[in-house]
Amino acid sequence: MIRTEHLTKDFGNFRAVDDLNLEIGTGEFFAFLGPNGAGKTTTIKLLTGLLKPTAGRAFIGGFDIQQHPIEARRLLAYVPDMPFLYDKLTPREFLRFVGELYGMDRARIERGIEELFELFSLGEHAHDQIETLSHGTRQRLVIASALLHDPKVFIIDEPMVGLDPRSARVVKDVLKERSRNGMTVFLSTHILHIAEELADRIGILNNGRLIAVGTMEELRVASGVMGALEDAFLTLTRAEEEEGVPAPEA
Amino acid sequence: MSASRVLGLLLALYGRMSQRRIQSLRDQSRLMLFVIGIFVVGYWIAAYVLFRSGFGYLLRVPGLGEVLMDRMLYLFFAFLLVMLFFSNVVIGYSTLFKSPETGWLLTMPIRYADVFRWKTVETVFLASWAFLFLAAPFVAAYGVVRDAAPAFYLKALLLFVPFIIIPGGLGLLVVLALTRFLHRQYFKWGLFTLGTVLVIFAGWYLRPVDAAQLQQTELVQSLNQLLANSRIALQPLLPSYWMATGMIAWGEGWSGRGLFFFLLLVSNAMMVLLVCSVVSQRLFYESWSRNKSQGTIGTPGQVFHRNLLGDSNCTWLERLMSLWPGLHPATRALMIKDMRVFWRDTSQWSQFVIFFGLLGLYVINLRNVSYDWNNQHWAGFVAFLNLGASSMTLATLTTRFVYPQFSLEIRRLWIVGLVPYGLKRVVLEKFWLSSAWSVCITFSLTCLSSWMLQLPGWMTILFCATAVLVSLGLCGIAVGIGALFPNLGSGSTANRYDNPAKIVSGFGGTFCFVVSMVYIALVIAAEAVPIYFSWGGNLTLNIVVAWLFVSLLSLLMILVPMSLALHKVSVLEV
Repeated sequence: MIRTEHLTKDFGNFRAVDDLNLEIGTGEFFAFLGPNGAGKTTTIKLLTGLLKPTAGRAFIGGFDIQQHPIEARRLLAYVPDMPFLYDKLTPREFLRFVGELYGMDRARIERGIEELFELFSLGEHAHDQIETLSHGTRQRLVIASALLHDPKVFIIDEPMVGLDPRSARVVKDVLKERSRNGMTVFLSTHILHIAEELADRIGILNNGRLIAVGTMEELRVASGVMGALEDAFLTLTRAEEEEGVPAPEA
Repeated sequence: MSASRVLGLLLALYGRMSQRRIQSLRDQSRLMLFVIGIFVVGYWIAAYVLFRSGFGYLLRVPGLGEVLMDRMLYLFFAFLLVMLFFSNVVIGYSTLFKSPETGWLLTMPIRYADVFRWKTVETVFLASWAFLFLAAPFVAAYGVVRDAAPAFYLKALLLFVPFIIIPGGLGLLVVLALTRFLHRQYFKWGLFTLGTVLVIFAGWYLRPVDAAQLQQTELVQSLNQLLANSRIALQPLLPSYWMATGMIAWGEGWSGRGLFFFLLLVSNAMMVLLVCSVVSQRLFYESWSRNKSQGTIGTPGQVFHRNLLGDSNCTWLERLMSLWPGLHPATRALMIKDMRVFWRDTSQWSQFVIFFGLLGLYVINLRNVSYDWNNQHWAGFVAFLNLGASSMTLATLTTRFVYPQFSLEIRRLWIVGLVPYGLKRVVLEKFWLSSAWSVCITFSLTCLSSWMLQLPGWMTILFCATAVLVSLGLCGIAVGIGALFPNLGSGSTANRYDNPAKIVSGFGGTFCFVVSMVYIALVIAAEAVPIYFSWGGNLTLNIVVAWLFVSLLSLLMILVPMSLALHKVSVLEV
């Protein structure tokens, strides 16, 4: 459902993403890890078409995001780390607007809104203006708006920022359940235990290069560390930085 | 989804949000709504009376009255065209490439061209509404002086629609080209260069008359000079020419000729939109991606910029500030930070440059008008107008740039509020820094204009001293009210405003602007009335008394808001 071929992005003389080859299947929950500045957000922007690659291609549901952006985006939902919202709208109005941009019919929009309001406990804020909502509530609203059109691919950057434990649990459960029902989830995070808990496969990016990809077990084997993901992550990134070890085939 | 459907959805959305803004304004402060209403109506009445008197005066010039009045129309729309163009370039860059909405819309399943089309509508509206607001009394006065039929006003409104689209579209095309082919960090330099070229061209075109001509006092010869210097506004390829000619024709009742120029404007506006549409399909996404993909560069300009304002271990700015004796290190750090933040925000300083660039152009152009130099009454009158114009421009700038400073600083209280420095000093630092730059600018402009007008020494000293006092007074008002009535936005910390343009749109910003305007009016009146009413009487005594009054008033304008602000921040809980 998500595929990249030799995806590369340069910012001036700095190579942010370096020859990234990745294939993520339908219904797979994929966690994307990496230290600060590794190129995770740049990769996401390339996958969503917000940036044009210097080289290589990115496909969403078989559509090249550069050649067929509208077809690809119909399948896609993206929640950035700093999402945009219209402050003077109410959550209900915002969701209606998003639904209309996706070309959904009115009945389906209203059904979706009710379901998502229930799921994310947004009902009590339905008629408040977004500018009055707390950070956590805004984050829940953004995730709800991204799920409204029932996307096939869900890309989320740092999903748990600002969420209280109860909301974080709801988000994790919803994403896992949707993933089981066929939605591909691409989750970028620094919080390793979330990746460990939810992901079917994990990719580790360092200095723009994919240094490891595989299941938790495969990463443990590749790193030679049998403990938690944190140990494997630190071992792999340190080894790459110190020795320039090529990405292990997991 | 069709382009019209996307545009319709966004227009409906923005309509609803505008309605909410007005409603919340009404709910939050009826007083502010009242103040704004009074100010709008007051401006329209004052401007209408001024324009009508001006047109009336021109009409009384024997034989040339109508020609002169029409020339004013051509000049007015030519200046409006240039200002609209620059306004669209600056606002277009922000709405296309800095607005988070653009990034969000680009992730939606809609065409890039539709996003660009919406941003065009937004840019043209944001860049033009204020000019239309300012132009309305001008057009109304022209219609009344011309005895135009009531339908004229509706037709004039119709003419404005294609007229604002043309500079809007052209401005956006320039933005796309600059962004596509120029590094992001050079955008401001590109814009600055464009502005400088324009000013040099205007300076060359409006070259001075020779000394012999300056001695001429005949009205007809002066008018000839004026007509010759303003011929550029009669270029038939300028949209402002079509606009003015259409308006003159409809004002005279020549329907066919008016319709021709209206259709000429419409067809050109549609052509500009068509070109925008075609170019945007090729360039918009390219420009967007390029704008977001640029790293830092090490060209000579960049190195100069870094050395001057940032990034190096010890910049020229830091060295310069270290020469200031007795300056507290924390104050110095805050000043350097403020200057860096200002410089790096293109939308901030470009507006600043445009405001004072136009004012500078106006002052320089004073030499080209054949005043009756021996008549000190007339020269003094023009000098008062200059003082008023400089002060009002400064009031706009202090409200726009100085007032939001404390609100912005409150967002950074986790650092500024916690260091052992104190918020009182932060407020004082804002006052001294803003006073320093505003005194430099207004003092030099006033000196220049006094020299151009060949004012006597005592008048030059009077105007320069007044300019300094007004600068300090306006900064006192802006910093004081900024701390007394900060605009932090609503809701959680995450929603608080970090955009100065948004901060200034609240009650505090409006209040600051109104107080500044009232203060300027009092200063001008205090100095002008004794001088003109005692012409030939005991002038010196009157001037001394007037200047003492202005000094006292300015002192009050500094001390009252500043001491209230200092008291407030000493007990502030955030």
